[in-house]
Amino acid sequence: MHQLAAGNKPELSASIVVVEKLVKRFGHFTALSDVNLSVGAGEKIVLCGPSGSGKSTLIRCINHIEKHDGGRIVVDGVELTDRMTDVNSIRREVGMVFQSFNLFPHLSIVENCMLAPMKVRGLSRAEAQERAIGLLRKVRIHDQADKYPGQLSGGQQQRVAIARALCMQPKIMLFDEPTSALDPEMVKEVLDTMVELARDGMTMVCVTHEMGFAREIADRVVFMDRGTIVEEADPETFFRAPCTERAKDFLGQIIH
Amino acid sequence: MNSLDFSIALQAWPYLWSGLLFSLALTAVAFVVGLVLGTCLALVQHFEVPVIGRLVRGYVALMRSIPLILVLFWFFFLVPIVLGHLGGNGRPVPIGATWTAFITFGLFEAAYYSEIIRVGLRAVNRGQFEACQALALSTFDTYRSVILPQVLRVASPIILSQTIILFQDTSLVYVLSLTDLLGAASKLAQLNGRLVEMYLVIAVVYLAISSAASQCVASLRKRYAIAGMRR
Repeated sequence: MHQLAAGNKPELSASIVVVEKLVKRFGHFTALSDVNLSVGAGEKIVLCGPSGSGKSTLIRCINHIEKHDGGRIVVDGVELTDRMTDVNSIRREVGMVFQSFNLFPHLSIVENCMLAPMKVRGLSRAEAQERAIGLLRKVRIHDQADKYPGQLSGGQQQRVAIARALCMQPKIMLFDEPTSALDPEMVKEVLDTMVELARDGMTMVCVTHEMGFAREIADRVVFMDRGTIVEEADPETFFRAPCTERAKDFLGQIIH
Repeated sequence: MNSLDFSIALQAWPYLWSGLLFSLALTAVAFVVGLVLGTCLALVQHFEVPVIGRLVRGYVALMRSIPLILVLFWFFFLVPIVLGHLGGNGRPVPIGATWTAFITFGLFEAAYYSEIIRVGLRAVNRGQFEACQALALSTFDTYRSVILPQVLRVASPIILSQTIILFQDTSLVYVLSLTDLLGAASKLAQLNGRLVEMYLVIAVVYLAISSAASQCVASLRKRYAIAGMRR
């Protein structure tokens, strides 16, 4: 059945994430209505839009932190249903970075990175540690490996959160406003890490208002408003000549 | 003049000591059973398990709203009758005062510890659960490795105060004619008429043990403190 659907839409077969006619409601409030999005392997997408537009909800649906009410989501060939086997097989392949880092405060930096690979991927302690140190080195924070999250700055914590997600060797990374909770002087170190990750070929969906970052790495900018996708374009086109009024208003507000 | 004579307490020390050991054993068992069972009860409520969650809520509310001494009586008189009916012949099956004490204290304290853990669970930031979900951790690993360690750390001062109250409450076993520290002291006091000395001595023992427990937990907390984590 799913193969048939994929056969009808050959343009989606290379997609790692396919979202079709997605609907999400919170009580009577419709957060997402009829959203379609496909993400190709290696593609970098920046989601932007005013607050309450549904961009965070959309990426939180992709790894089932929010349960969708209608439509379908297929990640890496597996359709997201309520069955926990499907949910966890998808979550294993989808890394997520949160606005508020959400590191585990009672575990050291390196333990934060080792927990899921050991429990979920079945790595030995030594393997998990080696992988964790390697990725902490990549985000340039390996010298803090034995400290605890509370001892690190916000920017450092967010880089650890990125390393923690990468330790699961995900096929796609979701970023939910990763720099919004940071002091301005720490935004750059996190964005630099994300740019590096993008250059390594990671598939990324980023909710962010960092337009410089969007310009630099995005293959596509997706603009959302009131629970729908209003406009999709490559960053040059989107920033230079947005075609909808709502996108123009939004850009006018954030670029001052 | 009738001056204070503490030598009597010294002579009777072996008897007081066995009473104290009973108090400590009861406290230890009730602490372990209460905390483990209480954590399970808290989790059942936290997960809103249908039917069972409500039953647990009712159980906790009941235990917390009646005096411990009454629960002790209930268990002592009712459980043998219930066991008799379950056994089929309807004749009460006595379980003895000691078993009654250990079982009652374990079950009673579980209700109090479960409230502490339940509130602690609600205090954990939602982001912690979401991070576990995003990392595909199973529910078991989420609670075992991430949520409960944080809850127990944050709740440890309240768990300690509850345990000190528990230690003092063990003196209620006198209603079952068991000899704990207080029971031993009052029996001696009645024999030799040295009530004031006896009650002064055991007050000091209770004080010493309770404050030693506080000190001990404080130093454990310091030793296992996590830098930068709110306590």
